[in-house]
Amino acid sequence: MLRRLRSTLAALLRRTRFEHDMADEIRFHLEARTSDLIAAGVDPKEAARRARIEFGSMERYREACRDARGIRPIDDLRADIAYAVRVLRRAPGFAVVATLSLALGIGANALVFSVVNALVLRPLPIEHPEQVFTVQSDGDIASQSYPNYRDLRDRNQTLAGLAAYRISPVSLEQGATAVREWGYLATGNYFDVLGIEPVVGRFFHQADDLAPGVSPYIVLSYDQWQARFGGSRDVAGTSVRVNGRPYTIIGVAPPGFRGTELFYQPAFWIPMMMQPLVEPGNPWLDRRQTFNLILVGRLKRGVSASQAETDLNTIAAQLTRDYPTINAGMRLRLTQPGLFGDMFGGPVRAFAIAVLALAGLVLLTACANLAGLLAARASDRRREVAIRMAIGAGRGRVLRQMLTESMVLATAGGIAGAVLAALGARGLTAWHAPVDLPIQFDIIVDGRVLLFSFVVTMAAGALFGLLPALHASRSDPQSSLKGEGSTRFARRRWPVRDVLVAVQVALCFVLVAGCVLAVLGLQRSVTTPLGFEPDDAAIASVDLGLAGYDQARAAAFRRRAVAMLSGVPGVKTAAFANSVPLSIDQSTTTVYPDVPSGNPRADRRSVIYYQVSPRFFDAIGTRLLEGRGFDWNEDPHVPGRAVVNQTFAKQILRGAPSIGSHFRYAASGPPIEVIGIVEDARYRSLTESPQPVVFIPMLQSPNLTTVFVVRSARPARQMAAEMRRVLATLDPSLPVYDAESLHDMLGLALFPMRAAAVALSLFGLLAIALATSGLHGLVSYAVARRTHEIGIRIAIGAGARDVLAAVLTRTAWLLGIGAVLGAGTALLSGRLLATIVSDVSPHDPVVLMATAALLVLVGFVSCWAPARRALRVSPVTALRTE
Amino acid sequence: MPDRADLLPGTLDLLILKAVSLGPLHGYGVLLRINQISGGALAIEQGALYPALYRLEHQGLVATEWGTSENNRRAKFYQLTAAGRRRLREQTESWNRTAAAMAAALRARTGEV
Repeated sequence: MLRRLRSTLAALLRRTRFEHDMADEIRFHLEARTSDLIAAGVDPKEAARRARIEFGSMERYREACRDARGIRPIDDLRADIAYAVRVLRRAPGFAVVATLSLALGIGANALVFSVVNALVLRPLPIEHPEQVFTVQSDGDIASQSYPNYRDLRDRNQTLAGLAAYRISPVSLEQGATAVREWGYLATGNYFDVLGIEPVVGRFFHQADDLAPGVSPYIVLSYDQWQARFGGSRDVAGTSVRVNGRPYTIIGVAPPGFRGTELFYQPAFWIPMMMQPLVEPGNPWLDRRQTFNLILVGRLKRGVSASQAETDLNTIAAQLTRDYPTINAGMRLRLTQPGLFGDMFGGPVRAFAIAVLALAGLVLLTACANLAGLLAARASDRRREVAIRMAIGAGRGRVLRQMLTESMVLATAGGIAGAVLAALGARGLTAWHAPVDLPIQFDIIVDGRVLLFSFVVTMAAGALFGLLPALHASRSDPQSSLKGEGSTRFARRRWPVRDVLVAVQVALCFVLVAGCVLAVLGLQRSVTTPLGFEPDDAAIASVDLGLAGYDQARAAAFRRRAVAMLSGVPGVKTAAFANSVPLSIDQSTTTVYPDVPSGNPRADRRSVIYYQVSPRFFDAIGTRLLEGRGFDWNEDPHVPGRAVVNQTFAKQILRGAPSIGSHFRYAASGPPIEVIGIVEDARYRSLTESPQPVVFIPMLQSPNLTTVFVVRSARPARQMAAEMRRVLATLDPSLPVYDAESLHDMLGLALFPMRAAAVALSLFGLLAIALATSGLHGLVSYAVARRTHEIGIRIAIGAGARDVLAAVLTRTAWLLGIGAVLGAGTALLSGRLLATIVSDVSPHDPVVLMATAALLVLVGFVSCWAPARRALRVSPVTALRTE
Repeated sequence: MPDRADLLPGTLDLLILKAVSLGPLHGYGVLLRINQISGGALAIEQGALYPALYRLEHQGLVATEWGTSENNRRAKFYQLTAAGRRRLREQTESWNRTAAAMAAALRARTGEV
């Protein structure tokens, strides 16, 4: 076997040598035979002739010799490709259009697939990633509290290790000042559970993370190490100030390891037990009700995920029994890590796969288009095919030749597509979300993406090539050469192309409907009331805790900052809060009704909370519907007042006369009085359902993270810069971040929808371009084929209307049928689109009408030129052509 | 040439192996040797020899080497390999068995059945 392969390879690689030797050998044979014949007394001239006759067909035997060496199929392929390239070069317009549309179709698929690959398929760069799962709670709180985590870690029987982490910012020393950097607080066993080895120094372990505050160690990410220390190996053991305190750099994580979240680029890891110092003023290591950790566990060898789930839920049941008000309804699930488990993973994966489906539709459209064009070309080439078959080419050979042509096209398109995808992936990886959090995806074109592109390319080539090729190879040489084909065969071949066009129009309709839907949705979500007024508002954030402020100093700082900001010319209102709606930082707390209903699980509600200063509602532009807001005279020592939104009043106060009614933060805690009600707003995303929200006076419940909000008559961006300046005069060493107009901050909330709108619009445009060229090709072809007939019609007195009707009726029908099919599909797939786009239903008549109108336009544009050509047919020349 | 027999399928390879088993030969020499050992009774088109030779070389049954012919011309010589020798032995036996069986079958008379 090996020897044969070698012999084939040798013949292939030393091809000239092989041919040369073969020619020599045959020449030797002929000469030897001739001289033998001459020796036998034959006349020399006659001898040479007879030697050649006795030898037989030289070309046939040469071919048989090549065949014997196993290089014949490869020779044929080479000839086919050369022939295909020649044929395509003779139709450069077609070749370019085909390659371009394939490049776009395949490129779109490869790019979307590389995103799916990065988010769903590619395992984390850790040891045995298939054993590692996120342990997440069902319901709206996917995270766990530290005490719950400790119990789960210590009591389970099925996990080799369970680690916990939390995304957290610190103020990291840089020269004389400090910058805010994001990293992870991670339990001591974190690196051991994930199975990571440091490139420099060591990682922290369980023994380093036993008591609060005693392990000021920091592990740097590879990128941070490169950026800060230029990759110096001496960094291990040196000290760096974190939140103003010295920490020892003990090691550096390997390149490519970015923790377990796919969207996040951490700068560091600090042991969990340092939490009180990393997040000063808010110690929660002992607070069972603070759910803020993500849990990641590694299964013991031989344990299945469902066994571990059962085991963990047994513990969850115990924890619910022991702490019913906190853990009511706790159920745990193992999910794929990477996107906070299913919390983001579900929607993100669903979206990525939906977009992949759309990209597939675009490619299908491109294929239908090319199949139509190739079919048209194939019937024009019937004569050529017939001649080839008449001189002895088998049907298989002709079929292979035509398929080679489409494969050559597909390959050119595939290569161009892969290049496009690689460029796109690089762009996506370089993209940074417009937020303080270092959001970054790592999207690369790896082997899996290339394999996918290759398979897609080959499938596309087969898809659009096979049908026309089969048709062409079925032609009957005799009738084709006699010229009958143009009438007899045309009828039989038409329907296939018609079906292709109708399918293409239908696909185009679906894509365009999706595109219109996304654009409308985006437009509406920009114009829907947000429940606050982003125009003319600017924000700037500081983290006083990281700068070492205690509560008293922080309160004084804020009072002074508000006073100074209020004095800036043009400022109408200045206020502050721990966070603002639609920013990335949203916190929840649990609330209970004033009077228990007897069902602790139903009573316990998770609500978003904001800690706000007086006049916050004026500053952010939220209307106060009833009651009053907070004022500066609120006694910090008498807690118990809150402002809530409409949904809170409806769902938690349950119709009780709202102002003056009560709720509680703990089932047995003191009652809290509602002093005001504000309008609902969007808090986490633009597509969310109405959320219950409580506003707590910042003066009573201080938080060291502070967002200043200023409403002014000046341009918001200019105001944001002014705020940064004012805050710096108060404390030059304090890092100010996220100083921007409130509008700019909304970019994050709008991002998913913008991404969807851009993707869908691109696909829609692509589909329109493909449909236009497809219809154009079809009508042009029809006109060209029927020139003769049109000429006769005009000669016997047909007017422009009759000619147009003759040419365009079929096209109009196809458009109509395609549109109806497409509308049906769009309606059926509407649920998918509705998940991405808010407030717009695919059943919306506006969407369907707009799409239909667009398609009419497409039809008009694509028929314009050929229809004019049909009208200009001169009967005399037309009748002469045949 | 009415007394020349057509070649049975598969026998050309066997004849070539036999021919080169008697010593290295160039292509034309193989043809002459086959004519010689078969008494000129087997008819093949001369060109048909070469695909067969290439096939045998591809299968590793014969090895080739460029050398000089009896009249000092460059020629490609074929010679049996160990595998070729083995194949020749097997094929010869199998051929003899078939031939004997055929001969016996054709000798049969009415009385013997």
